Amino acid sequence: MSEHAVVGKGVPRVDALEKVTGAAKYGADINFPGMLHARIFRSTEVHAKILSIDTSEAEKLPGVHAIITQDDIPTGRAVFAKEKVLYYGEPLGAVAATDPDIAEEAAELVKVEYEPLPVVQDVMESIKPDAPHLLNDRTKDGPRRRVITRQLKKLSKETGEDNSAEIERLNAELGGLDDEIYYNVAGETHESAGDVEQGFAESDVVVEGTYTIPRVHQVYMEPHVSVAQAEPSGKLTVWASTQGHFAIRSGIAGVLGIPLSDINVVGVTMGGGFGGRFNIQATHVPAVILSQKTGRPVKAQLNREEEFLDGRPGAGCVIKLKTGVMDDGTIVARKALAFWDCGSVAGGPIANTIRIRGVYKFPHLQMDAYAVHTNKSGTTSYRAPGAPQAIFAAESQLDEIATIIGMDPVDLRMKNMREEGDQVPAGATEPIVGYKETLKAAADAVDWWNREKGPNQGWGVAVGDWTNGCGPGAVYVSVHEDGSVRLFHGSMDITGTDTAMAQIAAEVLTVPYEQVSITRGDTNSAPYNTGSGGSVVTFTMGNTAKLAAEDARGRLLELAAQRLNTDIEHVELRDGKVSLTNGDAPKSLSLGELAAYSLSTTGGPIVGKGSLSGRLSAPAVAVQIAKVEVNPETGNTKVLRTVASQDVGFAINPIAVEGQIEGGVVQGYAWSMMEEMQYDEKGNVNPGFVDYRVPTTADIPRIESVIVEVPAPNGPYGAKGVGEPSLTPTLATFANAVTDATGVRINDLPIKPEKIVNALKSNGNGSR
Amino acid sequence: MRKHPISFTVNGDLQELFVEPRKTLLAVIRDTIGLTGTKEGCSTGDCGACTVIVDGEPVTSCMMLGVSANGKEVTTIEGISNPGELHPVQQAFLEKGGYQCGFCTPGFIMAAKALLDDNPDIPEDEMRHALGGNICRCTGYTKIIEAVLSAAETMRANA
Repeated sequence: MSEHAVVGKGVPRVDALEKVTGAAKYGADINFPGMLHARIFRSTEVHAKILSIDTSEAEKLPGVHAIITQDDIPTGRAVFAKEKVLYYGEPLGAVAATDPDIAEEAAELVKVEYEPLPVVQDVMESIKPDAPHLLNDRTKDGPRRRVITRQLKKLSKETGEDNSAEIERLNAELGGLDDEIYYNVAGETHESAGDVEQGFAESDVVVEGTYTIPRVHQVYMEPHVSVAQAEPSGKLTVWASTQGHFAIRSGIAGVLGIPLSDINVVGVTMGGGFGGRFNIQATHVPAVILSQKTGRPVKAQLNREEEFLDGRPGAGCVIKLKTGVMDDGTIVARKALAFWDCGSVAGGPIANTIRIRGVYKFPHLQMDAYAVHTNKSGTTSYRAPGAPQAIFAAESQLDEIATIIGMDPVDLRMKNMREEGDQVPAGATEPIVGYKETLKAAADAVDWWNREKGPNQGWGVAVGDWTNGCGPGAVYVSVHEDGSVRLFHGSMDITGTDTAMAQIAAEVLTVPYEQVSITRGDTNSAPYNTGSGGSVVTFTMGNTAKLAAEDARGRLLELAAQRLNTDIEHVELRDGKVSLTNGDAPKSLSLGELAAYSLSTTGGPIVGKGSLSGRLSAPAVAVQIAKVEVNPETGNTKVLRTVASQDVGFAINPIAVEGQIEGGVVQGYAWSMMEEMQYDEKGNVNPGFVDYRVPTTADIPRIESVIVEVPAPNGPYGAKGVGEPSLTPTLATFANAVTDATGVRINDLPIKPEKIVNALKSNGNGSR
Repeated sequence: MRKHPISFTVNGDLQELFVEPRKTLLAVIRDTIGLTGTKEGCSTGDCGACTVIVDGEPVTSCMMLGVSANGKEVTTIEGISNPGELHPVQQAFLEKGGYQCGFCTPGFIMAAKALLDDNPDIPEDEMRHALGGNICRCTGYTKIIEAVLSAAETMRANA
């Protein structure tokens, strides 16, 4: 049994009532008298020079109050395309009108002349010399060219020795490596440990494969929306549905070239983010500038089609992966070459290609990753950015290896897993981790070693890992005269983090959970806070809430000691009362009495403060096992069972934690089996829920969550971030299950029915 | 654009409005009447966030024109609870954690209410197909189905 009264309990969330009654106010629910509605007008070409933009007809439409283009951006920072467009749906400007339908009509009246340019949508084509060069990026060298270039540089510096033969040899090799000159590259990252080629030479078995993971949309249910009001003084207020309102403030300040203090951002309830609602997005700046132009409040809102055309989805990639193992299953070496499709904007989670190292110990590693431009919208974070993609490749290949060497896939993973003190390839040494415990918990939950399967059925297992961050954050705790406790902070809540904070404050101050409430401040009032993402919030804000509550408790004990004429060592806080620990007579003071008393003391009202900017977090791991049945005639896959274990450190609210696990699994299932943003020379061709299918209640049965608790040394009550790890192994879990069911392996996601049918056909058919 | 007079009830209140024929029922409910509990997630009838109950049937209100509501009875999320007393479906979503960001929740609750009003004995597999028009991106549906099953039990007991 838990020694805790409130943390560790699945209490309803602090926002439960407003969410189930429809009272919660989201971005689109913010309305003001006289408010105008913005509509962005967009490119209808995929790659083209802009010859002219004519807004004259649109301006004449009754109800239109302002039209803006890139010329209206004071700093000249790119908000709208001006010289050329790089994708279908790229914003060219925005209209503000009295009604959303009038704004839409006006946007359609804007005339744009283009000179079309050639289009490239495939990263493997885009890196070639004959591809259209989208942003005039310099070329980058591939892995082997990098090594040779470095050697040549070194040799040229070594004077006195005759290196000419070696230099000639290397130059000759370089001359044969033209296919390693990559075009359209926006960024690169490289990591290595040991000597990977030596590792492959020493391995008994070496397996290579190419893995293709599609671009997918976060599909937060609330499309992007912002409301802005420019005051006559020049000050701005922005109501934003965002994962972090402080980042919206700095983003707007940057684009407008104005001080932070001129902008107040109110973070409103947000309809999901999953990484897609960080920083300024399509709606913020248009709303602000249109409000400045008109002096009226302006709401800018995307619809779902615009979300697909012009959102910032999760990046797709192509990963070439090679792994060397010994016959007994010991992993020796692993090498990855990855090309991430960052679309028309530099970015993409290229650094997280390193996740191919997984939770395993091996001496030789090399990772080379590139972000490559294509004629698509830019990308941004999607739940553990980069990890599901890299781990799909890594855990698929590990499964293939298990089959080749005839080893059980769970045993193979268990054998290679790192423990505390083990060296992380190209990293530090492991702190205390729960990898093996979590794998065992999942395997035990399905009785793995006695698992059974019928015809066309298969089991898949995969392991994913993630480390939560810890951002700056602060909390104030006030204790009021009625004994109630109020927290005040500037952190956005999506997943129940406010609830975790309330539970922690209740625990520390020994009051019922219901007695604690929370106020979220806007950027003018609240202390600075990092954005809600990266699985940082419970770790960061749980810690700050605990610090703040402990600070308030200290003051309560001090006041009580004063009031009871004793020393602070002789009082204790329990059940919402401070009592004498050494008194004969049972004397005690309630929190409310102490709060009332505090008002007439020199110290004043009871306020506790917690503030921190960084604490070392702990690695989290998620293991998932799925059982599927594949119809070999239709290629349809039916999920029979999914078990998801996760090391969460400590579950402050088990219902919320399970919810994070279940939600991550279903998103991962969709990425593995269903979802893909599709592009051709016309741009995105499936910008809606009919052609971009996301899972519903009919697609996947209940997820069985298994909570594993290996406490994080610095986490509040040992808690780790839980939001992201749950999606990291899922893509591979289902791919491995399909392979076990069919005997064919699909490395090109999503595993749509036709791919299975075609693979079975070319494999000489065969259910097994 | 010329407006048309319509008369209908929303949560029991008579609404007599002049409505442009291009405005959806969703726009009328949210923008004209000001009840913002009903959400717009896709505008194409595919996500279910805008589900309301019209004459007893669940309807995606983004796919129905406001003028078509003339003479009908519309119930929104704001109309199914009383102060201090949630509808059993709301209560179950609250207790089971059947929501996270909450944006799909009003539509989901209305779809589930309409479903259980019609058949509180519906088996889980049929329930899963019947609720397949409502998209939730946060929960993975496990707790939503737990909530609807639990609400069904309460509604059967109350019947």
